[in-house]
Amino acid sequence: MELRDIAPFPTSCFPSSLFPTMRADVEMNEESSKLFEREQAIYNNLDERFEIHKEKYKGQQYSHIYFSRLHHMRNLLYSLVPNWKPNLPVKTILGLEEGKECIIVGTIYKHMKLKPSILDEYSKERSKVPLVKPHNFVHPDDHLILEDESGRVTLTGSLLDPSAFVTGIVVALHGKETSEGDFFVEDMLEAGIPPQTELPLSSIQCIKNVTYVSPLQLGILGCLIILAGEDKYVVFVSGLSIGSSIFNPLQFQLLVDHITGHLGDRNEQSIASQIVHVVVAGNSVQIPQVLLSGHTIAPRDQSTLTEPIKELDILLNQLVAAMPVDIMPGPNDPANFSLPQQPLNRCLFPGASAYNTFMSCTNPHQFELDDILFLGTSGQNIDDLFKYSEAKNRLEFLEKTLKWRHLVPTAPNTVGCYPFTDRDPFLIESCPHVYFIGNQDKYETTLVQGPEKQLVRLICIPKFCETGNAVVLNLRNLECHTLSFPTSLDL
Amino acid sequence: MASSGLKNFYRQKKKGGVAKRSSNRSFAGKSPTVSLSHLVDPVPSPLHGTLLSSRCSGAGRDKVPLAAGIGEEEDEKLRQFDMDMRYGPCIGLSRTDRWERAAAMGLNPPAEVETILLKSSAAASGCLWDGRV
Repeated sequence: MELRDIAPFPTSCFPSSLFPTMRADVEMNEESSKLFEREQAIYNNLDERFEIHKEKYKGQQYSHIYFSRLHHMRNLLYSLVPNWKPNLPVKTILGLEEGKECIIVGTIYKHMKLKPSILDEYSKERSKVPLVKPHNFVHPDDHLILEDESGRVTLTGSLLDPSAFVTGIVVALHGKETSEGDFFVEDMLEAGIPPQTELPLSSIQCIKNVTYVSPLQLGILGCLIILAGEDKYVVFVSGLSIGSSIFNPLQFQLLVDHITGHLGDRNEQSIASQIVHVVVAGNSVQIPQVLLSGHTIAPRDQSTLTEPIKELDILLNQLVAAMPVDIMPGPNDPANFSLPQQPLNRCLFPGASAYNTFMSCTNPHQFELDDILFLGTSGQNIDDLFKYSEAKNRLEFLEKTLKWRHLVPTAPNTVGCYPFTDRDPFLIESCPHVYFIGNQDKYETTLVQGPEKQLVRLICIPKFCETGNAVVLNLRNLECHTLSFPTSLDL
Repeated sequence: MASSGLKNFYRQKKKGGVAKRSSNRSFAGKSPTVSLSHLVDPVPSPLHGTLLSSRCSGAGRDKVPLAAGIGEEEDEKLRQFDMDMRYGPCIGLSRTDRWERAAAMGLNPPAEVETILLKSSAAASGCLWDGRV
């Protein structure tokens, strides 16, 4: 069965990103049988809940997000409490009675001594140079407070270590009120890893064995499934930082050439043809800080503002001509500051946006590839957790956010966030199969098993400008490895 | 400084039963409005109205103009809906949005509130604390 047979189907049957590249492959097939066809994967963008173009700011405050969050998580925890401790009464915080054991559900607030306050800015001189990146603000004197609509209560007891928690997570606590008015914690219940739809990997494998089925009967989806069963790879790259002093154009060009199949012999090209998708996870450009200090820029210097973005567009152009690319904004990119960051404007990419394989996405970003659910951010959520709490490594933070069922628990407390009134879009309703964060210092990955047979691949994508590493994920078995482009001449 | 702030209060639309209660009582003691009373109509500001809440069930309602098309009883129901903590904070959200949000979350907000909100768009788009916070 040749790809040519599929061409007569009407365009509306095809997910739009597939059609142009398939036709190109068909033409190449006719000219020379030595060229490889790139694999395809069915892409489904699920960013709608992170978009804010329909929202209208009416002067609301952040209390609505916390209300939404508490309401949803509380309902969830109430349904889990009977399995956890069935005989204890569940109370609100104002309904606590001294000495009586009960369960309360609320949002945690962590009182931190070293947490920077906005008022500090008024006591120091305004400096043009950005402050050194702050380190960890954890202090031994931090304590936790539980809060719901009726009131708040300080938590005591040795079970909860404040350095492991942050403000904004919703938990259920078992304990009793002490004579001082504090709540002595005996046990804690987190929501746990959310339910996950089972991976359809096995179904793809068995269809591979069918010898011939008429494409007209199965339809386009059926044909693609028959073609699959091979390894398909997704490339993650982040922290390109084009425009910064450490950006090496050769490194990124090598990456682009390798992915698009312009490098190497037939073996390498066959590997490259199995890459179905590229995700650029934030910090693709870095505008020189001196230009952002607020002074007016002379016309001759204005071009330096746009140089990095133009360079990114040229490089992206080469990528999108070959396969679908998702680009997410990061903390240094020209997008809004607060989460959820909105997609980078298509005007920034006059060359690349002409292709329909170019997808500008929000941060956080959620999508499906061949029914495998991906969820990830450009790193702001985990970087903030790192500032306000402690854990073994970044992967543990990722796992904690899954267990707390919230992508960015510290929003809006210490991470900028849009004041939604009717929902909290960062709640994780269904467990992703792949959970990634960008702009980390080093590559780390692990496979997490949940109590209900959930399986999640956690990935920390390293900064490409510093490490020269991109991450490659195999969709068939969720295995991960790095793609490394060292360009130093040390031998 | 105080007078310019109070002038903003006075810009509120005055409807119906505003001056029902005697306005002189609100000027007891060191009220800053006394200095302006010869310039502007002595309409008591809502801020002072709240201080006299003891006699009525709702806080300071009698000093703030009722929304168009709403009777006192219905206004009371809307106020109760606003103050009910079960449906979340009410500031920064129009009443209709808040009602819809409560319905979407499965909190079963009272249906009679919805009928009142459909009747009057002025009441629906505001909330108890408009202009006071």
